[in-house]
Amino acid sequence: MSAKITKHSGYQVRVLVVAAVLAGLFGMLVFRLVQLQVGASQYGADFLKRQGDLRAVRSAEIPAYRGLITDRRGSPLAVSTPVVTLWANPQQLIGSGKEPALAQLLNLPVDDFVKKLERYRNKQFMYLARHQTPAVARAVLSSDIPGIYGQREYRRFYPAGEVVSQLVGTTNIDGDGASGVEMRFDHRLQGVPGKKRFIKDLHGDAIRDIGVVSEASDGESLQLSIDLRLQHAQHRELLRAMTETGAAAASAVTVDAQTGEILAMTNLPSFNPNRRGQLNLAAMRNRVVTDVYEPGSTVKPLTLVAALESGEFDIDTIIDTSPGRITVGDKVLPDPRNYGAISVSRVIEKSSQVGVTKIAQAVGHENIIDVFQRFGLGQATGAEFPGERSGRLPDHDFWSAIDQVTPAFGYGLLVTPLQLAHAYSAFANDGRLVPLTLLATDNVPSNGKQVVSPEIARKVITVLHRVTGDEGTAKRASVPGFSVGGKTGTVHKVGKAGYLDDRYVALFAGVSPIESPRYVTVVVIDEPEGDIYGGGTAAAPVYSRITQEVLRIRNAVPDSAEEKDVLLLAEAGGIPRG
Amino acid sequence: MMTRFLESNFSLPALFVLCLGSALMIVKETHQTRLLFAQLQTLESQRWALQEDYSRLVLEYSTLSAPHRISELSGTTLAMTSPDAAAIKVVEQ
Repeated sequence: MSAKITKHSGYQVRVLVVAAVLAGLFGMLVFRLVQLQVGASQYGADFLKRQGDLRAVRSAEIPAYRGLITDRRGSPLAVSTPVVTLWANPQQLIGSGKEPALAQLLNLPVDDFVKKLERYRNKQFMYLARHQTPAVARAVLSSDIPGIYGQREYRRFYPAGEVVSQLVGTTNIDGDGASGVEMRFDHRLQGVPGKKRFIKDLHGDAIRDIGVVSEASDGESLQLSIDLRLQHAQHRELLRAMTETGAAAASAVTVDAQTGEILAMTNLPSFNPNRRGQLNLAAMRNRVVTDVYEPGSTVKPLTLVAALESGEFDIDTIIDTSPGRITVGDKVLPDPRNYGAISVSRVIEKSSQVGVTKIAQAVGHENIIDVFQRFGLGQATGAEFPGERSGRLPDHDFWSAIDQVTPAFGYGLLVTPLQLAHAYSAFANDGRLVPLTLLATDNVPSNGKQVVSPEIARKVITVLHRVTGDEGTAKRASVPGFSVGGKTGTVHKVGKAGYLDDRYVALFAGVSPIESPRYVTVVVIDEPEGDIYGGGTAAAPVYSRITQEVLRIRNAVPDSAEEKDVLLLAEAGGIPRG
Repeated sequence: MMTRFLESNFSLPALFVLCLGSALMIVKETHQTRLLFAQLQTLESQRWALQEDYSRLVLEYSTLSAPHRISELSGTTLAMTSPDAAAIKVVEQ
C-alpha cells in the first residue's frame, strides 16, 4: 500500500514539475513578448518600430518652386517650368521584351539603349531622360512598359535668352544658382523643399503615401532693376558696333545715378542659356563687372575734380600747352597738335595730354588718387555680382616722375566698366555716390555718400557737356533733341612686352540729360579693328544711340520742347504718369 | 467611488462599451485622414498641372512680347517709327 502511494505521489510530483517548467517557459515567452512590444529596453518597441519603418517606409522630396526673376516692369527673365525626369529600374525592365518599344518612345537608337541597359543590369536605378516636357513624359509613363518611373522636377527657362544671359546667369541641372543673379540671390530664389512619406513594397514600388512631413515652401520672386527694353536696345547697338568696328568684344552699362539702380548691363559675345550644348566660357563672362581695363582719358574728369578742389584751378584758368608735348622723366607725352594756351575746360574737351600732365604735376598724385578712392575706384560697387572685381589703384613704394602723372590720364590703374559708371554717377547726382543695386527700388537710398561738393559736380557736368560739343572729342556722342555730356577714352592694350601699338580699347562714359543729370552709360569696345578704333569714333556713337533709347524709355523731356510745344492738360482726366 | 464602480456589476459592460466607442472613433479618424490625404494629392496634382500651364503661358507671353519682335512688327505691319526730337510734344499737368 505504502509502495503504491509512493508510486502515485512520485507520478504527481513529476506532473507538477513538468507543468511548472512548461509554465515557466511560457511565462518567459510572455515576458519577452511584453518586453519587446511594450517595454523600452534596447531592443524594445521603439527599436522594432524603427526597424519596420526602415524596411517599408521611405520619404521623398517635394520639390520647391524656384522664384521668378523679372525685369523692373515684370517681364519674366527666368521661369521655372515643371518637367519630368524619367528613370527606370533595369531589373524590372530587362526581359520584359519592351526595350525596343521604349527606345523608340524616347527617340534613342535601339542598339545603344540595349547596351546601356546591359551595363545597368545589376542596378535598380538608371536615368532614361532628364527634364522631359510633361506631355512627352506622360506618353512614356502611360505605356504598359514595366519598371519606368517619373520624377517631378523643375527646369529653368530664360525667355529673354542671350540679351540678358550673363546678367541673369544660370542654374545647374540640380536647380542651384551657378552664375549671375541666379547665384547672387540663390538664397532668396530657392525655396525649401518639402518631405513626404510613403510605404513601399518588396520591389521598391510605392504603395501609398502616408503623409506630408513638411510642406515645400516656394522661393521668392525677384524684381530686378533692369529694364528689358533698354537691355534689348543696348544689345542691338553693341551688335551693330561689333559689326561696324570688327571688335572682339563689347560691353555697355547704364545706371540711374539717383537710386543706384543698374538699368541695363550688356556684353557681347553672348550665349543662349536655353541651349546648353556647347558653352563658350568667354561668352558667359559678364565683362561689365568681371573684366578690368585701364580707363584712359575717361578718368580725366576725376583729375579735374582734384584740380578744382585744390583751389589753384577753375574751369576757365588758362594753361599753356605749347609746344604740344611735355617731357616727364625720360618719356615724352605728345598732343595730336599744339593747342597753345587753352582753358582747363578746353584741356578736357580736347583731352590734351600736356594740359592734364601740367594739372597733375601742380595738384600732386596723392590728391588725384584720393579723388579716385572717394569715387569708388578700387572698391566694390555694392552690386555684389558673382565674380565682381574691385580693380586696382596704383600703389608704389617709390613714385617716379612718370608714375606721378600717369594716373591723371588713366594709365597704371584698373577699373571695371561698372566702377567707371559708378564714379560718373556722383557727377550726375550732385556729388553724392549711391551704392549700386541690381534690385528694383522705389526710394532714393539714404546710404549715399557726398564725395564732392555739388558746385564742383555741376562744373564737371558743364565741361562734360562741352566735350560732346562741336569743338570736343566726342561730337558723335551727342543725342538729337537732348544735351548730353561725357568723356572718351582710347587705351592701348597690354601684351607680353608692354603696350601694343595696334590694339586698343575704346571707351566712352557719359551723363544725360545735362539739365537734370540722372543716367550714366559706359560703353567699352574691346579691340576694334581698322580705322574706327578711338573712343570718339568707335564708342561715342554707340553711347549716343543707347542714350537716345534711355531718354525715350525713361520719358525725359527734350531740350527742344519749347514753350509753344508744351500742351497744357486739363486738370481732370490727366494721362497716367509713366 | 472608483473602487465601488469597479466592484459593481456594471463595470465590465461599461468598460466594454467605452473601449468599443474609442476603437470606432479611431477607425473614423483614420478614414478621415485617408480621405483628406487623397484630397491633398488631387489638389497637388492640380497645382502641378496649373504650374505647367502657367509657365507655358509666361513663356508664350514673353516670346510674343519680346522687344525685337515688337519693334519689327511695329515697323513692318504698323509703319511706326520712333518720334524724332521735333515730333515730341510735352504734356504738362
